[in-house]
Amino acid sequence: MTTETIYSAVAEAIRAEAGRILSDGTVTAVVGYAAARRKGSAQPVVITKPDDAARLIFSAACVNNLAVYLTKAKKELPREGRIGIVVKGCDLKALVGLLGESQLKRADLYLIGVPCVGVLGSTLQPAVELDAETIADKCRECDDRMPQGADFVPLVELPEQPALDKKYAAEIARLEALTPAERWSYWQEQFSKCIKCYACRQVCPFCFCEQCLCDRNKPQMVEGTPRPAGNTAWHIVRAMHLAGRCAGCAECERVCPMDIPLNLLNRKMARELKELFHSEAGFEVREKGPLATFADSDDESFIK
Amino acid sequence: MHVDKPKHSFEPKIIAFVCTWCTYAGADLAGTSRMQYPANVRVVKFPCTGRIDPVFILKAFQQGADGVLVSGCHPGDCHYMAGNFHARRRFAAFRKLLEFIGVDLQRLQFSWVSAAEAGKWVEVVTDLTEQVRALGPMHEFKDLALAEQWSGKLDAPELQEVYEAI
Repeated sequence: MTTETIYSAVAEAIRAEAGRILSDGTVTAVVGYAAARRKGSAQPVVITKPDDAARLIFSAACVNNLAVYLTKAKKELPREGRIGIVVKGCDLKALVGLLGESQLKRADLYLIGVPCVGVLGSTLQPAVELDAETIADKCRECDDRMPQGADFVPLVELPEQPALDKKYAAEIARLEALTPAERWSYWQEQFSKCIKCYACRQVCPFCFCEQCLCDRNKPQMVEGTPRPAGNTAWHIVRAMHLAGRCAGCAECERVCPMDIPLNLLNRKMARELKELFHSEAGFEVREKGPLATFADSDDESFIK
Repeated sequence: MHVDKPKHSFEPKIIAFVCTWCTYAGADLAGTSRMQYPANVRVVKFPCTGRIDPVFILKAFQQGADGVLVSGCHPGDCHYMAGNFHARRRFAAFRKLLEFIGVDLQRLQFSWVSAAEAGKWVEVVTDLTEQVRALGPMHEFKDLALAEQWSGKLDAPELQEVYEAI
């Protein structure tokens, strides 16, 4: 089966399920993807009428992590009733993280899982075919193509995952082999591109604080200017605040207008925390993340 | 009582973030016991190591610290039961992040010093001071903070000369 036939079967099932749950009153709204104006492109949409279910699609251009519409960007959602939401594996892991942090209640949600063979790395040309060249970097090392614990998952057989080279793992290994000074200059080069648009913060499901530490100016912990000190501090603080929480949806990296490899930091931290505390984002709700809990046996070899 | 101290060409600035219940009391004991330790360390007192946010460390480096010491109660002795356990995990992760960003971890020291361990405080501070002295000034974050007000590096030799003269 090709990607297109898989995704058209998935889209068909999503439309049927969304129509059903909207008309029988299970949910008051469904957050999903609809076709956008350009050929092949997709955009997030909230539908509240059963008839609108026909607008829903799924394709390799459905890159967005819709979980963010349940927390920060929830203004368009009805306040009452359950909400249906279309989630890929990585999106579901982020959503499960939000459940663990008590930002969402499972009973308020109806999860439509998507069996996923990957999405496009860039939607600048949304009509291209999904192949080893155009697939997103996160999908190259994805272990969770089949969402688990969703209320509805279309019955679609996924073909065996092709073995693609893992770009994040390779890049982390390359950087780790450098000297600290070389790594510093690499990251300075990357951070110096930052224009502090905060798109990475805006799109991240986990950046749900009402007031961000980095916006406060009494005391000012992180300089707000798009200048070297503020940029470096912002990216360090961002990576630190996402450590042990990030589910790897890589939305931050996708939306970055300056192409800063933000997910590289997130992946590195996820790997370190898995190694140190045996905890990683998954489909099971973790009551406490790795940095919100502790064990007597934690490593303290670095402490005198 | 006067002890002759060796003169060094470089005196590092060390910022110590300490918890008030153990390490601060330990440092106090070192003082009242008249133990000698390098005056390079500037102590900032916190209620608990659990209160010490990684951004404090960044801020210290940006504002001119050459080394940072974070010190609190031994595991199990925390005044708030679990503050130091949480801190231990957080700093284990933060170290890894700083290492990946390219910061030399020899400038960042963590320790457990109890209220009775004046000797250990002296030892930790002396060791870190000598370690950082050997490494020389920490310029990475300072350069960034300078560039925040300045339009970039001082690459013209005459500007550099004027700057050095200030």
